[in-house]
Formats: sequence, structure tokens, C-alpha cells
Amino acid sequence: MSTTTQILAGTPWKQGVKDAIPLLGGYIPVAISFGLISVQSGFSVLETILISAFIYAGASQFLFVAMAASGAPLWLVVIMTLLINARHIVYGPNLSPYLNHDKKWLPLMHGLTDQIFALAHARLPQLPDQARIGWYTGAAVLAWLSWVAGTALGAIAGDELTQRWPLINDILPFALPALFFVLIVPRCNNRLWTLTIALSAVASVILKMLGYPNVAIPLAAMSGAVLFYALKNRRILGGQ
Amino acid sequence: MDTSMWLALVSIAIGTYLLRLLPYIWMKRSLAKRQTEDGIGSMPTWLTILGPTMIAAMFGTSLVPTHSDALSWLATGLGILVTFGVWTRTRSMGLPILFGVVAFGMVTLILPI
Repeated sequence: MSTTTQILAGTPWKQGVKDAIPLLGGYIPVAISFGLISVQSGFSVLETILISAFIYAGASQFLFVAMAASGAPLWLVVIMTLLINARHIVYGPNLSPYLNHDKKWLPLMHGLTDQIFALAHARLPQLPDQARIGWYTGAAVLAWLSWVAGTALGAIAGDELTQRWPLINDILPFALPALFFVLIVPRCNNRLWTLTIALSAVASVILKMLGYPNVAIPLAAMSGAVLFYALKNRRILGGQ
Repeated sequence: MDTSMWLALVSIAIGTYLLRLLPYIWMKRSLAKRQTEDGIGSMPTWLTILGPTMIAAMFGTSLVPTHSDALSWLATGLGILVTFGVWTRTRSMGLPILFGVVAFGMVTLILPI
């Protein structure tokens, strides 16, 4: 990923909004599905919207609603959803070298989802220091609003929407893999990183297809990191 | 929702927020403590590797189509190829994603006819 500082054409937050627009293709259809499923599971429209606004973590919200509806013990619901979200612990530290000491970063961490992390990890190093908080605010607020609005839409009219436009669910979500792809492909600028990234991606595909979607991301990422170290050590030993 | 369900919701919301916030604060303090000029250099190496590999893993999981049939995989493959093709020309974000989604949609819509 390029670390060249970029000069922004508009205000930083506008650039953040612009950069986050591709996220909407993935967020809105999934949020509509969540709204629909949550209401069908017995939660009210307001409760459904509050779940999206405050938990704001896709997979764990689906799990929360499904487990709660099935009558699972609530302590287990809390533990399972937090375990799914545990992968987030890597995100803040990875971005911290690019964030200044502004206290506004603290509430903004609520918006640090998988996708915003991927976007920020690629874009923040390219931005001047004083533009970063504005850029992040624009991107994170747009993503959060789209998630909450999509949930509301799904809770109120999800059934009708998915019946009338079934392709919303089939085509638009492809924006997410396309986005992750353009964020990660610049990293493949040498053999070591190309192999590391390829292994992480392939491992996550296999794990998801085997039926382990929730552990696919951390396990695949760790396997990629192990390969990175193995290749690097071999190179060092080979060089000696 | 009864009180216990609200309590569970609030616990998950606060817990998720803390999972995002606390490691950031910890790293910020750790970097400040080391008082180095180049913060990236003083971050633990494993953490700087896990960042890109997490994104690669997210790419992999999002790549798996909802309906895992041949047509969906064909559309996915073509969508990524087009995304890559446009990216190599523009080195931007918006256009490669747009063209990728259009290619994916065209295969999904046209081929079954």
C-alpha cells in the first residue's frame, strides 16, 4: 500500500464519505436482511434499530437475534456474540500509529467495523495527519447510518423489498469482496506478501465453505501470519 | 423485550465497543511510552502482519457466494478479474468496484436466460 501523502481535492470528511460509498453495496442489503429477520424473530422495529445502532457488528447481531429467539441462556448469548467480535481487538492497535491524540477518536472507535478498518488501514497512511479524523468521521458515519437505515428499511418493509427486488440481495453485496480486493492487492508487491495474502484468502474461503464463517477470519489471518514468519525465517537462514 | 434482554443487549453493545476501544488505547499508550518518532516501526511485528492478513481473510470470506453453484462462482471469478483489470489501469477504488459489480451482475442476470 502506498504511503505517499495524498493532497485532498475536497474536505477530508467528504473524501471519507466518497471512499466509503462502495461499502453501501454490502451494508444495505445485509442490514435489510437483518431488519427482516429480527422482526420475524419477535423483536419490535425500534428494538431492531437499537440493536443495529448500538451493537453495530453484523455477524454477532444475527447470532444475538437467533439465539435470543431460540431461548438460549442470555449469559451464553453475550459470551458467544463477544467471542465473534473478538477479532476487532487487532484493528485499533493497527490504526493507532496513524491517529493523533484527539479525544474524539474515543467515541469514533464505535464505528471501527471490519470494512472501515480495511478502508482506514489503506487510506489513513496516505492522508496528511490533520485530515485523518475528518476522513474517518465521514467514512465511519456514512457506514453507520447506512447500516441503521438499512436495518430500519428491512424491519419496516423488508419482506416486500426482497420480494420485489430479489437481486438486491444477490448482486449488490459483491461490492464487498471487490472493495477488500482493491484494498489488499497493492500489498502484493513482493513474493513474501503475495504468498501470505494468497494463503490467508484461500484459507478463509475453505473455512467458510466448510461451515466455519465466524472463525474463518481470525484463523485464516493467523495462518497467513505463520506463513509470513516461516518464509521470512527461511529467507534469513538461507541468506546466512 | 424484557429487562434481562435489554441487559444482554447493553452488555454486548458495551463489550463490542470496548473490544474496539481498549486495544487502541493500549497501543497508543504503549507507543507514547516508547517515545519513538516513527510509531509504525515500534509496533509489534506480528500486529503489523495481522492487519493485512485480516483484510485478506475478509476478502476470502466475502468472496464465497451465498448460493455455491457453478454460475455464482463464475460470476464471482469474472467479477474479480474485471475488478483487477480496471484497478491495474486506474489504481483507484471506485471504478474497479463499480465495473466488478456490473460484471458480476451481468453474469448473474444474463447467463441463466
